[in-house]
Amino acid sequence: MKTTFATALAFGVSLSPAFAQELTVLTAGDQNMVDYVNEYLGPLFEAEHPGVTVRAVGTGPGDAGSQKILERFEAQAGANASVWDTDVAVVHEKFAGPMVTAGYLAAYRDAITTGSLVTRANADMALGAEVKGYVMPMFNSQTALAYNPAMVETPPQSYDALKAWAAEHPGQFGYNGIKGGASGVSFVMGWIYAYGEGDAAKLMNGPFEEAETGKWDKAFDELAAFTKNATLTAGNAGTLDMLAQGEIAIGPVWVDMFYSWKANGQLPEDFRLVLPEPGMPGQPMHYVIPEKAPNADLARAFVELATSPKVQAEGIVERFNWYPGIDAGHVQAELPAETWDKLFTDVTPDQLAARGKPFPIAPYNIAILEAYERHLAQ
Amino acid sequence: MPSPALPRHRSALPGLLLVAPALAMVLVFFVLPLAASVTGAFATEEGRSLANFAKIADLYLPDILFTLLVIGLSTLLIAVFSLAIAGYLTLGRNPRAVALLRWLYRWPLFIPFIVTAQVLRTFLAKNGMLNGGLELVGLVDPATASNWLDGRAIVFAFVWKQTPFVTLLVAGAMTSLDRGTIEAALNMGASRLRTLWDIVTPQVAGTLMTGLILSIVTMMSVLSVPMMLNATAPTTITADIAFRINAYGDYGVANALGVVSLLMTSGFAILYLRLGLKERT
Repeated sequence: MKTTFATALAFGVSLSPAFAQELTVLTAGDQNMVDYVNEYLGPLFEAEHPGVTVRAVGTGPGDAGSQKILERFEAQAGANASVWDTDVAVVHEKFAGPMVTAGYLAAYRDAITTGSLVTRANADMALGAEVKGYVMPMFNSQTALAYNPAMVETPPQSYDALKAWAAEHPGQFGYNGIKGGASGVSFVMGWIYAYGEGDAAKLMNGPFEEAETGKWDKAFDELAAFTKNATLTAGNAGTLDMLAQGEIAIGPVWVDMFYSWKANGQLPEDFRLVLPEPGMPGQPMHYVIPEKAPNADLARAFVELATSPKVQAEGIVERFNWYPGIDAGHVQAELPAETWDKLFTDVTPDQLAARGKPFPIAPYNIAILEAYERHLAQ
Repeated sequence: MPSPALPRHRSALPGLLLVAPALAMVLVFFVLPLAASVTGAFATEEGRSLANFAKIADLYLPDILFTLLVIGLSTLLIAVFSLAIAGYLTLGRNPRAVALLRWLYRWPLFIPFIVTAQVLRTFLAKNGMLNGGLELVGLVDPATASNWLDGRAIVFAFVWKQTPFVTLLVAGAMTSLDRGTIEAALNMGASRLRTLWDIVTPQVAGTLMTGLILSIVTMMSVLSVPMMLNATAPTTITADIAFRINAYGDYGVANALGVVSLLMTSGFAILYLRLGLKERT
C-alpha cells in the first residue's frame, strides 16, 4: 500500500509542472516585451537550466504597467509576505527609484558577472534617485523626430529649426500631447530643456527647487501657440500611423517603434529620423529582483543571461532595434557591421551621446506635466 | 397532525441565506471600494483636506465641462435617433423596410466600445472614409481637410454605440402601447411625425428617460473611446483619472475626479427620480 502511494506520488511529481521550478518574470511595456521573454529569452534560459520554466506576465504598456508592478510589491510588503510571487521584474526608469527607496529590491548587480559591463550613468541614478547596484538596464530607448523625406526637404536639426519649419507648414507637425504616451511627453521635456529659462542640467540631475518650476511660463506659452499650429495624434502609434498615411510630415516617435514599423512594412522604407538639438529624452528599462524573490539564485542567473553581450546583441539590438543596456563596445563585437550601422544610420553615436538626454528627475517631471496641463488644456 | 405555523424568522432564513451571497458581493466589491474611493478623495499627504478638489478646480474644470457637453450632446442625439428608429418600427408602412431596420439597428449593441473606437479612428482620420466621401460630393477640399478626431469623434462613437440600446427599450415600450390611440390619431388625419411626437412619445417618455440615464452612466465610464479618438485637449474625466494614476501615481486627485463624476451621474439620477415621482402623483 505504502509503495503504491509512494509510486503514485513520485509519478505525480514527475508529471506535475507545479513541482518543477518556475521563474516568474513580470514585465511592463507593450506586448513585444512579453514576446521577448516568451519567445526568445525564456527558451534560451530554459535550455541552459533544464527543469526550469520561465513564466512571463505582461502588466501593460507605459508607466501604467510599471505602476502595477510597484503596487504589487507594495501589497506584498504591506501583507508582510515572507516570499513574494515575483522573481524578476522589468520596470521603467521612473519606478526604479521608488522601489529602491521603499526597500523592495535586492542589490544584485555586483553579484553577477555582467554587472561590470554597465557603463551608462542612468544605471546608477534613475531620475535623481540612486539605484546603483539594484538595477541592470535591459535596453536604452530613445525618442527622435521621424519624418517623411518627400514632405520635409531639410530635416530640422534643432528645436529652433523645427519651430520655423512648422510655422511654414501648418498642421504638418504632429505629436500626441502628454496623455497619449511617452513620445509626446518626451517632445515636451525636450521643449522645456530648450526654452525653459532655468538650468536644463538641474532638471535632469537635481536637486529639486520649487523656484525652478516658475521659469517655464514663457516656454509653455510658446508651446501652446506651437501646438495650435500642429496636429495632435492619438498615442505613440497614432503619430506613426499618421506619418505612414501622409497626414503629417514629421513627429516625435520612439526609435525602436520606428524601426519595428519599418521592418513590418507599416512605414515606408525611405522614412528617416533626426534627433534635434539640444536633445530629446530617452530612458532605459531595468531588470530588478525583489529582495524576497522565491528563486533569487535563478533570478540572478536569468538577468546575467539577459545582459550578456551575446543576448544584448542578438535580442536587444538585432531583434528589437533597441540601444543596448550594457556598454555598446561589448555588444558591437558580437554583431555584423551592417546590423550595427542600421541602428546608427540616422542618429550617429556622437549625436546620440550629445543629444540623447535623460528625462527630468521625478518632481520636475511631475511639475512639467502639470504645467503643460495648466497651459495647454484650458 | 399538522405542525403549528413556523415562527417568522425561520421562514425568512432561507430567503436571507439566498440573498446573503449577492448582498456580500455588493458590499465587498462595490460599497466598500466606493467608500474607500470617496474617503481617498479627501486624503492628502498633509491629512484630510480639500486639496485634491482644489487641484481639480485648477486643472480640470474645462475637462469637466467638456465631459458634460459631450455627454449632453450625445444623449440628445441618442434620444432623437432612438425615437426616430423606434417610431419608424412602430409606425412604418413598408414591412420590408421595417424588417430590415429591425434587423440592422441592433448590430452596434454587440460591438465593444474599444472596437468601435478603432473602427472610427480610421473612418474619421484626415484621409479616412468620411472625408473621402465628403470629398466625392465636393463638400471637403482634400488639401485643407482636417481630421475629425476630437470631441465630435467621441459624440459619434457614443451615439453610434448607445442608440440601439435606447431604441431597444423604447421600441419595446412602443409595441406594448394601445394601438387604438395611434390608429385614432392617424385616422383623424394627423401625420405620422405628429403622431409620433404628440401621441407615442409622451407615452414612452418614462422608458426613454430610463434608457438615457443608463446610457449616460455607461458613457461616463468609457475610457477607451476618448483615449483612442480624442487627441486634443480638453478631454473626458475618465482619461484624466487614468492619467493622474499612470503618470503621477496620484490616487488622491483621481479619486476626487471619480467623486465629481459620481456627483454628475447622481445628478442625472435624481433628476430622473424627480420626473418619475411627478409622473406618478
